[in-house]
Amino acid sequence: MARVKVKSFSVIRDVLGASVVEIDVVHPETVGGLFEALVQKYGPAFKNRIWDPNTGEMVPFLMKLNEETIISSTSDLDKEIQDGDEIVIIFPIGGG
Amino acid sequence: MANGFKYGGYMGQLLRVNLINRTVSKEPLREDWARDFVGGAGLAARILYEELPPKIDPLGPENKLVMMTGPVNGTIIPAASRTAICAKSPYTKSFFHSIFGGFLGPELKFAGYDGLIVEGRASSPVYIWIDDDHVEVRDAAHLWGKDPFKAQEILRKEIGDEEIHIATIGLAGEEKAPYAMILCDIRAAGRGGMGAVMGSKNLKAIAVRGTGGVTVPNILRVYNTALKLNQLVATVPAVQGLSKYGTPRNVAAMNEGGILPTRNWQTEVFKGMKDITGEVMREKVVKGDRACFACSINCTKYSVVPKGKYKAVINGVDYETIYGFGSICEVDNIEALCKADELCDHYGLDLISTALCIAWAMECYEKGIFTKEDTDGIELKFGNVDGMLQMIEKIGKREGLGALLAKGTREAAQIVGKDSYRFTVENKGLEWPGHTCRPFPAAAVGYATGPRGGSHHDIRPTAEKSGLVDRRTLEGKGALAAEVNHWLILCDSMLLCHLGEPIWGPLRISDNTIEALNAVTGWELDYEGARKIAERQWNIIRCFSAREGFTREDDRLPVRFMEEPVPEGPMKGSCIPKETLERLKDDYYAYRGWDLKTGNPTKEKLIELGLDFAIKDVC
Repeated sequence: MARVKVKSFSVIRDVLGASVVEIDVVHPETVGGLFEALVQKYGPAFKNRIWDPNTGEMVPFLMKLNEETIISSTSDLDKEIQDGDEIVIIFPIGGG
Repeated sequence: MANGFKYGGYMGQLLRVNLINRTVSKEPLREDWARDFVGGAGLAARILYEELPPKIDPLGPENKLVMMTGPVNGTIIPAASRTAICAKSPYTKSFFHSIFGGFLGPELKFAGYDGLIVEGRASSPVYIWIDDDHVEVRDAAHLWGKDPFKAQEILRKEIGDEEIHIATIGLAGEEKAPYAMILCDIRAAGRGGMGAVMGSKNLKAIAVRGTGGVTVPNILRVYNTALKLNQLVATVPAVQGLSKYGTPRNVAAMNEGGILPTRNWQTEVFKGMKDITGEVMREKVVKGDRACFACSINCTKYSVVPKGKYKAVINGVDYETIYGFGSICEVDNIEALCKADELCDHYGLDLISTALCIAWAMECYEKGIFTKEDTDGIELKFGNVDGMLQMIEKIGKREGLGALLAKGTREAAQIVGKDSYRFTVENKGLEWPGHTCRPFPAAAVGYATGPRGGSHHDIRPTAEKSGLVDRRTLEGKGALAAEVNHWLILCDSMLLCHLGEPIWGPLRISDNTIEALNAVTGWELDYEGARKIAERQWNIIRCFSAREGFTREDDRLPVRFMEEPVPEGPMKGSCIPKETLERLKDDYYAYRGWDLKTGNPTKEKLIELGLDFAIKDVC
């Protein structure tokens, strides 16, 4: 089991209830497993922020792993995570 | 359809006002131009290519100001309420379209017009009053010198109608400051100095009241399209957050990702970020939400700082304010950012250019190029909140150093010398918005080749920022930039809001965009048909620039982006060296069928797009 810190902002933070939450990832201990655990804990309100309900697909976005490494929802869901890791959700960014 | 026009969504006529002799005429909209260029920026580019001689003075009476709507404006389609104000720009010296949201475009259509062409120069200050069929040029001496909101208040009172929609300039526009904006009710046509063009015509305001409606061929189809699009607005994840936090929803995330431009782009991580996020703004200053016509995104925030030295009442702040006066000037006070926003509105200044000019001056000061003698005693260091606000006032009034900064960073650096051009952050004279391209090659070539230069509305970095496309490779980036250009320019001719990017794009023109256009007009365009229109629009704008003398050499990036890698954070080391940029430009021109040497469209491309008339000018 890996206990992971998840940092988020804006409407994802609103769903998670705090800017940083901790969650246990049991199996698989991967980035994809982390999101499954988050859906289990926070339900459709979280899922609908990450998976487009119109297509059923996870939307593309970047994450920051342990301060420096940028990973992506499109290519890094199989990446292993370790106990104590921190992941920042850098949600799809447009501009005004 | 309206006025016997062949296609739905159009009013079928243009309004032309000549300010020299104060005449007003109505002329039919050309059906072939509507079909080939749609409306908005595309149609305005075609009109101005036809009507403006090359190399005219943008602030002379020969220039024309075109306010253009699109066929979707004024219908129930969401995120489709924008309006284009176009002219030859005094700032970038080529065709420019400055686009704003709100209600003015729909109102102009309700008055019966697809667009307004203003030509000549009035001998004294005037405003244009459009009241359905009745149009007149009125004296505006009593409005001259008034800030935009005050001028709007006076006009609503004297006309006796609170429901009119008004575009106004401030002091900056009256004095023809090259990055003066136009305030349209509460929204700004901010970029490219369209306010200066208006001021050069002695035109203080355009006030519009319309009581008609827009006719479509199949109202049930439009209803169903709007229903589907509203459903997408409500559910597509990347659109969420705008209603609550507005465009600043991503400030904190961008900082975490190492892509929040800071300290005049010396870095892209801001240590003071936590105090200027969308969340902080919502908690501390936002008092309400406002939407544009028929839009369910609801992104505009009404904010109040009730007391103290930063007392302000604004519609904002938007992300670009937080970027420009926040991280770029290293100011971490949300109330001060509200004040900066209010001051820009008061003087009628484009806030992005204003902020970047001040940040450039701050860097000059810290590097010893400017001293306190130059700044009238202001210690103009990064993070000096009050110094920054004083400089906005000085730019607005063109006092002291403000007179130099009012010229923009490109001209100011030419005057100052001392290698200060190395930390100007502009292309084609237009200062950069708050969206980096140092880690993103498609965005880099899109910015460099964009007709407006430093505009995040000619290219969007979103595909690379989100991981939808691999940002680490160069392959295919010319094609990606071109296809992003296409969905953007089609949106800017339909007047769709780019905040609907996941719905209208983001990689190429989407089925949603095409369906909105087809439903309203009655056309049955497929993807290739829509793409060809967009390609034609992009090429006519490129031809306009080429006719003005622009070449491949003008497709540049700031020196800082080519020679100074991001120094810290997760994007550390990112930059676009000149040789990489040149390779990307080759890739982009080749994909477009443009000449690699000149960067101009080729004869074959122009024939293919039906732009034969431009061959003599650019080939």
